[in-house]
Amino acid sequence: MAVLGADYRRDMGIRHYPLLVYALTPLVALVLQAWLPRLLLGYAWFDLPLVVTVYFALVRRDPIQGMLMGSSMGLFEDALTHHAIGVNGIAKTVAGFLAGSVGMRIDVENHAIRLMLLFLFSLLSSVLYVFVYRVLLGLELDWKWLVELMKAVGNTAIAAALFPLLDRTQIRD
Amino acid sequence: MESFFLRYRNLLVLLAILLAQIIGLAVQVRRADNGRSTLDPGDAAGVRLIRLWADAVVTPPEKFFHGTKLGAESLWQDYLDLRNVRQQNKDLQKTIDRLCLEQAALLEDAKQGTRLQALMDFQQKYIYKTLAAQVIGSSGSDSSRVFYIDKGKNYGLESDMAIITADGIVGKVREVYPRTAQVLAINDQTSGAGVILESTRIRGILRGNADGRLQIVGILADQRIQPGEKVLTAGGDQIFPRGLPVGVVEKVVPDPERDSFIDVVVKPAAHLDRLDEVLVITSTEERFSNEQQQDMATSEALKGAEAAAAKEQQKASETMAERLPGLADPNAPADQQPYKAVTPPATVGATPQPLHPDRFTPGATSSPSPEPGNGTSAGKPEHPGRNP
Repeated sequence: MAVLGADYRRDMGIRHYPLLVYALTPLVALVLQAWLPRLLLGYAWFDLPLVVTVYFALVRRDPIQGMLMGSSMGLFEDALTHHAIGVNGIAKTVAGFLAGSVGMRIDVENHAIRLMLLFLFSLLSSVLYVFVYRVLLGLELDWKWLVELMKAVGNTAIAAALFPLLDRTQIRD
Repeated sequence: MESFFLRYRNLLVLLAILLAQIIGLAVQVRRADNGRSTLDPGDAAGVRLIRLWADAVVTPPEKFFHGTKLGAESLWQDYLDLRNVRQQNKDLQKTIDRLCLEQAALLEDAKQGTRLQALMDFQQKYIYKTLAAQVIGSSGSDSSRVFYIDKGKNYGLESDMAIITADGIVGKVREVYPRTAQVLAINDQTSGAGVILESTRIRGILRGNADGRLQIVGILADQRIQPGEKVLTAGGDQIFPRGLPVGVVEKVVPDPERDSFIDVVVKPAAHLDRLDEVLVITSTEERFSNEQQQDMATSEALKGAEAAAAKEQQKASETMAERLPGLADPNAPADQQPYKAVTPPATVGATPQPLHPDRFTPGATSSPSPEPGNGTSAGKPEHPGRNP
């Protein structure tokens, strides 16, 4: 019954967007993520690809779409660094999967809930990144939990402005 | 069976994607001899291909953004905000003149050093050719301090070329793509450069830490290392030429892992957070480049002109001093005379001998009276007030 209820809500609440939004939003997020840190002089406490991943996973309410977008964005981010390709991919795959799964079960029309979920997924993504890097791969990596916390706050602040903007681009019947 | 896959479709897809990525990661990591895991320094073909694709997708928009930013800045700086430019230009010209003279003064030392190195069979390499490049983007991750420049293989760039600015070293080329290159900054955790402290001559390895700060690690505790000491490249890493500025010692902290060792925190000379234009050292040679030699010739010529001007000035001073005898105090000792080098002490007190001495000549009172027939005193009373 619970599954049926979730499916029902899912069918009722799946959003659709123009193809251009699907194509351009992740690309712009990746480009800005690579370009903005130079302007912000080391205070780039945000992860735009994660924000976009969580947004589409939540509103599309599809774990598979969420994890595909998360893995693509993560691999892309990894490719721009000099680290191993796949660390961000794994972290964002899991975040996208969980966001899509949660989107099937709770009301994601509420803006505050979406922001709170994004904050939690940001922290989870950071934890997964460090776990994969240090435990799974056994590589040395210094990290500061305060920076990761600030990054989660930064993601939430950006999402507070970005999510309503993206909401406006959805196709309404 | 079909219902199993349908029911757990999401989880199965998740596991498949994760498994694929974990296998991909396992390919990229190697176990070193000391038991620690390290990233394979050279990317495999597949990994390199993914990086190339990512670069190809991100670079054009980045170049567009960067070009737009540069255009706006250029419009403002070159056309609108031109206050005090003339004064700055004058100041810069003075600085150039001063540096030319300093360079000429140092040139002799450099030549002597080169001769000595040749005698000792030590081959010093100088920066021979550089290529200016614009910084167009970064990795976007604070755990990976790499950035991208707008020059690549098409301009002759290769891996491990040094990247510098006029202020100091910046990093080294890590990956080269056709039109761009990825540069590993010196403040990355995986970076390394051989450095030497200027006055204490202590050598060490420069690395970045998690905060992006520079540290010289693995140095035995030494009281002589003080904040403010300059740090230079040591030249032993085959990447950075010797003697380039790295930064200054900011503070000394104990090594958290090893007793009796210290870490020296270095404030970088180059502004690593706000790089716009950098220089790629594309070639080092055992001789100065033609451009450098021209600069040095100009400096030498300027030095000659300056020396000639100084000599002229000194000559003019001497002439002036000769024409102003009152400046010399006859009662003062010889070593306290102004222009003592100009006016020999022996001549200061001497009375010039007249060609035709008369009664007004100093010392004439003790001389015998002029003879009656001497026309020089005729019609002129010796004491006019006593004449009858």
